[in-house]
Amino acid sequence: MNRAFTVARLQFVGWRSVVGWPWGILALSFLINVALFSAMNEADDFEPSTGGLMSIYVVMFVASVNAITQDFPFALGLGVSRRSFYLGNVLHFAGQAISYAAVLYLLAVIEEATDGWGVNLTFFGLPFLMVDNPVLRFLGFALPFLLLGFIGIAIGLVFKRWGINGLLMLSTVALAGIGGLVVLATWQGWWSAIGGWFADQPGWAMLVGWPALLTLLLAGLSYLTIRRATP
Amino acid sequence: MSAVVTVTELTKRYRGVTALDGVSFSLAENRIHGLLGRNGAGKTTLMQILTAQNFATSGEISVFGQHPYENEQVLSRISFIKESQTYPSHLRVTHVLRAARLVYPGWDEEFAQRLVDVFQLPRGRNVRKLSRGMLSALGIVVGLASRAPLTFFDEPYLGLDAVARQIFYDHLLADYTEHPRTIVLSTHLIDEVSDLIEHVLLIDRGRLLLDVEAEALRGQVVTVSGPVAAVDEFSRTGTELHRASLGGTARVTVRGDFGPAAHDRARSLGLDLEASSLQDIVVRLTTSQNGHATGSAAAADKKEAVR
Repeated sequence: MNRAFTVARLQFVGWRSVVGWPWGILALSFLINVALFSAMNEADDFEPSTGGLMSIYVVMFVASVNAITQDFPFALGLGVSRRSFYLGNVLHFAGQAISYAAVLYLLAVIEEATDGWGVNLTFFGLPFLMVDNPVLRFLGFALPFLLLGFIGIAIGLVFKRWGINGLLMLSTVALAGIGGLVVLATWQGWWSAIGGWFADQPGWAMLVGWPALLTLLLAGLSYLTIRRATP
Repeated sequence: MSAVVTVTELTKRYRGVTALDGVSFSLAENRIHGLLGRNGAGKTTLMQILTAQNFATSGEISVFGQHPYENEQVLSRISFIKESQTYPSHLRVTHVLRAARLVYPGWDEEFAQRLVDVFQLPRGRNVRKLSRGMLSALGIVVGLASRAPLTFFDEPYLGLDAVARQIFYDHLLADYTEHPRTIVLSTHLIDEVSDLIEHVLLIDRGRLLLDVEAEALRGQVVTVSGPVAAVDEFSRTGTELHRASLGGTARVTVRGDFGPAAHDRARSLGLDLEASSLQDIVVRLTTSQNGHATGSAAAADKKEAVR
């Protein structure tokens, strides 16, 4: 376990890039939004809402793919075991998810207190992330980091172990599987039932429960895959 | 002297290619081993398996008495510097050194900084912007300063000029003398390192051709030249590896058990006798028809001698 903490620190040696990219791009996206909606000078009842927050999640997704394609060969070259590398990365990403979610939460609170930064802008407090329970709201910020992180790790590992053909095969299987299910659902007339099921899910399950379950599944599969991966 | 590495009947097959074919040997502690062989002979694959970066198809390996796979105790005592090592794109030279300091228990920071100065590495430069030679130098700094009890250097000199290579050899030898450890040096520049190497492993097409002390090997292979009949008479007791004929004279490289008596015998036959360099030996063994069979042939010769 000590070795896993070492790996988590190892992932942080170039911390300026690790922290700088996600927050730099988010800050840029935010400033552009504020400038844009200030310049538009719309009426008071105009309350713009943007998807600029997504940029930080996208950067984290890219970072998690890089963790496998770039950091994995480097760490193994330094004599780190696959298990320690994996656990270290889980710590690294969980640490970032928790701290980044806390900052985003804080920014969402400030946003509400300042009436959308003075221009009625909704940048951090996205409507679909809006729940009353503070714990759930925090998890709503944190879980997408983890889910995207593990999707990135899984994609990176498929590429690492089975190459570009593995990725193409995965895409083909995913396309055929999802397409087949859509055809089946349409043919059998299941859509209203599916829609009803989604509508019946409590808010916490859609925001936290199901993403957490998917994250755990991906984490387990990734661990099994990395055990036989070669740098 | 105990064995740090033991390899038994190690075989690695890729789709349709046999990279290693039933290789067995062991590495003694605190020696410099030269792992020699042509491109594609299986050297890198062997080192990758010993460091648990790759998987064997069959056979047994033991490093510090245990299997290295997912074995933190073993892996933390190994440093494997390879020419093909890649680095994360956002790291600078200082970051790589900081990472190595975190990971290696025996890391010597002062030594690392001294080596960075000696190789004139730009500390603040991004690793992806280093020249080939600088990248090799960075690997050498990490490999030497890690002071790992088992250190592999896989062709660590790519892109380095002759001066930088000599700096590497000098520091390797000096630091090895001060901090004895087991070193495996895989290289093509055999003449350059022949004074450094204490034990020779030669592999060709996945098979182990030589596993012998460098000192013993130097006496084993000789080149004789003179009249054809006399040369034939002399080389009868050994295995002929190479022959060049010009008119009535021949120049033959022979492998066998040549002690001081052989020199007297050569002189009495009117032959010139010279010991072959390590590089000559390697070239002759890997290109000779008899090269792959020398192991068994030499054994047969010994049996005859006993009779």
